[in-house]
Amino acid sequence: EDLRVDGRGCEDYRCVEVETDVVSNTSGSARVKLGHTDILVGVKAEMGTPKLEKPNEGYLEFFVDCSANATPEFEGRGGDDLGTEIANTLYRIFNNKSSVDLKSLCISPREHCWILYVDVLLLECGGNLFDAISIAVKAALFNTRIPRVRVLEDEEGSKDIELSDDPYDCIRLSVENVPCIVTLCKIGYRHVVDATLQEEACSLASLLVSVTSKGVVTCMRKVGKGSLDPESIFEMMETGKRVGKVLHTSLQSILHKEESLGPKRQKVGFLG
Amino acid sequence: MPGDHRRIRGPEESQPPQLYAADEDEEPAARDPTRLRPVYARAGLLSQAKGSAYLEAGGTKVLCAVSGPRQAESSERGSGPAGTGGEAPAALRGRLLCDFRRAPFSGRRRRAPPGGGEERELALALQEALEPAVRLGRYPRAQLEVSALLLEDGGSALAAALTAAALALADAGVEMYDLVVGCGLSRAPGPAPTWLLDPTRQEEERAAAGLTVALMPVLNQVAGLLGSGEGGPTESWAEAVRLGLEGCQRLYPVLQQCLVRAARRRGAAAPP
Repeated sequence: EDLRVDGRGCEDYRCVEVETDVVSNTSGSARVKLGHTDILVGVKAEMGTPKLEKPNEGYLEFFVDCSANATPEFEGRGGDDLGTEIANTLYRIFNNKSSVDLKSLCISPREHCWILYVDVLLLECGGNLFDAISIAVKAALFNTRIPRVRVLEDEEGSKDIELSDDPYDCIRLSVENVPCIVTLCKIGYRHVVDATLQEEACSLASLLVSVTSKGVVTCMRKVGKGSLDPESIFEMMETGKRVGKVLHTSLQSILHKEESLGPKRQKVGFLG
Repeated sequence: MPGDHRRIRGPEESQPPQLYAADEDEEPAARDPTRLRPVYARAGLLSQAKGSAYLEAGGTKVLCAVSGPRQAESSERGSGPAGTGGEAPAALRGRLLCDFRRAPFSGRRRRAPPGGGEERELALALQEALEPAVRLGRYPRAQLEVSALLLEDGGSALAAALTAAALALADAGVEMYDLVVGCGLSRAPGPAPTWLLDPTRQEEERAAAGLTVALMPVLNQVAGLLGSGEGGPTESWAEAVRLGLEGCQRLYPVLQQCLVRAARRRGAAAPP
């Protein structure tokens, strides 16, 4: 019948609010409000040594902090398990060559590279955490401005890293192929996108699919205590791809629109 | 005798020389994409564990032990926002605690035992795949501990650990709806990639994408799914899931025989 408790269809998202550049000390930040779920992501770019197996690339490090304000269960160490689960999922979806151009993060091979520390803060939990977090990470990476550096070599061979004088001279990451997660919860015989807390409690199993804007799937995972029928898995994958493409186009248009407003745009901040 | 660190200054970090060696392995020989390596499975070999199983498939060797049911440590434990619905029955259900460990000598580089994020992620994947099969409602306020130890990683380690864990649970006499059989797949990089069933370690290392499926063969329900990488469009992933499910069905008779033999051995060893 395609009708849920709050009047949405099975494939409709709740109203999403995305705002970038909310925290001034970071290289890039974004805040996403999806219904009652509130996520804040900050990206900081720091210089470090590249990994041994990949000397020509920089890398990303994810950290997820479930704040105690989100739900009472996160008090103390309660949120740590969920935090590591989300961080591991984020590592998995970015664990391929095409998501982020890591070669552009290299400064000098084997010696210096940019490491992007992506820190996710869960401010309020209202269901469908993975989707909101992936949208926020994509928006924050779009907003990230990494200062341009040059490596100068002396006669003796010692290298010196010089930061450009212009604070607006920076490199931007291309987020064309950054995937977004779509969680499909199986409730009864149908599956729904963007479940609220009540719907998540009724669902025994969900499929988490990470889709890029071109429809390429980078990660698939079954979450939950129940089992899934093979046929429903195929249906859910198709739905996830369809919904993911729509999500990507609307997110891109919002981000470009916000960027085009320039420095004069109204910043809503945290109380809006 | 510990080395004399004060006078002999070695480097702080050391790497095995294989990392710098030229890649002498040629391309793995072309093989039938649907071949499964011969499996040796034996249940009931550890005297101190309630149930145990050892599985060997090609070069992958996994040992799994189950202990319990014993009293759960704390009856109220925040399991995240999804666990808030359904008070009384959820608190009375038993719990399954899974632990996945790699032996330090299991891979090419030595890994010290607290393996960090990857082992936690695989332990969570084990738990999510085994929970649909175990009748936890029959063990109220109790917890079952499953610990999988990977002795040697020869490819598709998670799939082997899943199968061994299910065998160990069955050997321990835990009430289950069905066995869980795991199967690994990987997709080679290249222009016309196909999905290979049950990859070896070389095939996994060169792979562009990997997938592990866990199936309950009799009920034909997918208990677990974990995959990541540049798998391509959803049709490619769907084909991989189908291939994996077929592989699981083919593996099932071997496990049935293993359990029958273990039961006979137990019957013969019991005092008259």
